[in-house]
Order: sequence, then C-alpha cells, then structure tokens
Amino acid sequence: MDYQAHHNIDSLIVRCREGDKEAYHQLYKLYSRAMYNVGYRIVNNADEAKDVLQDAFISAFNSLETYRGDAAFGAWLKRIVVNKAINLVRRRKFERMPETAGFDVKEEETVDELEGYPFTVEKVRKAIEQLPDGYRVVLSMYLLEGYDHSEIGEILGITESTSKSQFNRSKKKLKEILEGGLL
Amino acid sequence: MKDSLGKFINENREEFDSQVPPESVWNKIETALPKASKQIFWNSVTFWRAAALILFGLSAYLVVSKNYSRPNKQEIAEIQGFNDLETYYSSQISEKMDMVHRYQTSTGLTEDEITQNMKKLEAMYLVLKDEMKRRPSQDVRDALVLNLLVRIDLINQQLNKLDKPEVGKLADKKIQS
Repeated sequence: MDYQAHHNIDSLIVRCREGDKEAYHQLYKLYSRAMYNVGYRIVNNADEAKDVLQDAFISAFNSLETYRGDAAFGAWLKRIVVNKAINLVRRRKFERMPETAGFDVKEEETVDELEGYPFTVEKVRKAIEQLPDGYRVVLSMYLLEGYDHSEIGEILGITESTSKSQFNRSKKKLKEILEGGLL
Repeated sequence: MKDSLGKFINENREEFDSQVPPESVWNKIETALPKASKQIFWNSVTFWRAAALILFGLSAYLVVSKNYSRPNKQEIAEIQGFNDLETYYSSQISEKMDMVHRYQTSTGLTEDEITQNMKKLEAMYLVLKDEMKRRPSQDVRDALVLNLLVRIDLINQQLNKLDKPEVGKLADKKIQS
C-alpha cells in the first residue's frame, strides 16, 4: 500500500474517532472482502465467516481508540479476524495440535512433491477446504495470510516447530487430495 | 526446498480472495457502531483548550470591564511605558527558564507543578495582552505586570529548589516522619 493510501486510511480513522459514520463505512468497504476471505479460510463455512466478519468489525470499530498506529491498520484488523475465527473453530472442538517430541527434530528436507502439478486457483482453494481444521488453519495462515511460524505458534498457542511440522503434514495431505482425484 | 505450491499461491494471491461477503453484514455492523462521538468530544484536548481560553478570556473581561473607562492621556503615557517593562521582565523570564530547562535536562527531572503553573500563567498573560491591545487601561497593565512578577518569583523558587535537591528531600522526609 503506497503512502497516499496509508494517509487516506489514517484520515479515515481520525474521522471514525470523531464519530463519522461514512468513514466507518469507507473503512468497511476497503477491508471487508479481504477480511471475509481470511475468516472463511479458517472457519471453512460461509455462515460462520459472516459472523466472524461482523464480530471482528464491531470489535475493531469499538476499539479504534486502542489502535495506536504502530502496525498497519490492515494487519491489526486481520489479527482480530484471525483470533475471532480461531476461537470459533476451537469452540467446535478444534483438533488439538499434536505436541510430541518428534516435532522438535530437525526439519526433514522436503522435496517439492508437487513440482510440475497443473495448479489452478479453484483446485487449490477446494483442496485447502477439504483439509482437516488443524491442517487447513496452519497452511492458510502460512501460505495465504503471510504469518511466519513463530507468529502462528503465538496465535495458536503451539511451538514454532509444531507449526512447521503441522505445515509439512498439511502439504502432504493437500498433495494427496490434489493427486488423488478427491476433488 | 523448492515450493511450487507456495510460489503458485504468491503469484495468484488476489484470486484466492474470491468470496464476497453478504450485503447484510454491514447493516448489522452499522447498528453496533460506537456511540462515543459525544464522549470523545467532551474528552478531547481541543475542547478543554477552548474551554480554558474562554474561561481566561471571560475572567480578564470581567476584571477589566468592572472599572472600565476610556483611558485618559496620563494612562496612555503609562501604558506606553509598559512596553519597556515587558521587554525587561520577559528577557528575565526567558533567561531564567532556560536555566531551569538546562537543569531539568541534566538531572533528568521532568516537568513539575511549578512548570505547569508557569504555562497556565503564560496562557493567561496572552489573553490579558490581547485585552491590552484592544482596550488599554491601567488595570490590565497592572494585571500584566503582576503576571510577569509572579512568574519571575515562581522561576526563582524553582531554581532554588533545583539548586538544593538534598535539602528538599530531607525536608520531605521530616514531614513524612
């Protein structure tokens, strides 16, 4: 995002703090689609993704006073969406991340198992949707939301190495889905 | 490790945000927007600054207008003499304040009550000065001189305090015990 866009967002935030309804709507229009998709990838369900989006924006707008501008507004908002979505998945018995000693071993030299695979956005998106919650969350957060393993560990309450191992497993599972004709 | 999946996702990242949120979401958010705009206004620094200025202005006006009359020739002459006084006292204040600031910086002390009072007096002075320009009178002149003298007195107190920090601490301890 360039300087002008940042400046516009900053001025929208100032207007929101002054109680300008139109500014709230502008902020919503700027971020709602991206945030809806972030939530959707975690909860994997349109209705719940809608609830997450709603809750996250209501929380964010009511906490604008606490947003200090040290992180980009989009990153701050995304973190709220991710937390709301993960809480929702946890409530429906999110599979516990395995915490065995085996996960702390040095990362296996993974070969690129999907090299040459004819990816399409639609195929990859559908395959990710078929992953179990625990795999899908880590894979989406790493590959699509841009978090690193230490951040994922912090958000999910697991170790960094567990996040790495879970990610490798989720990629293997994704390969099975893509190559196994399970779409 | 080569990662063709990661590479593919990076290259097509925007297309992965293909889901569109339902229109109804905004309606619900709109009904829950913070109604704190009034509270924010009452808490804003701008509001309190404006309120303080109005209060100072009003006080100055009441004091001045009580005995207000058109200045006679003698008063005008006295008022003109005020400019010299102001130059002298202002230079004293600025010189002494520099000393206070230098002392505070070198000792790591932060602003205390005295420096805050100085700022309030300075704000009041600006209001009185404005009054002096618009409706010069002996009363406003006296108030301005008094303001300058009080500030000099406060700075002197502050310099004395900074000069003998140990004495101050001892006195504090005695009071506590």
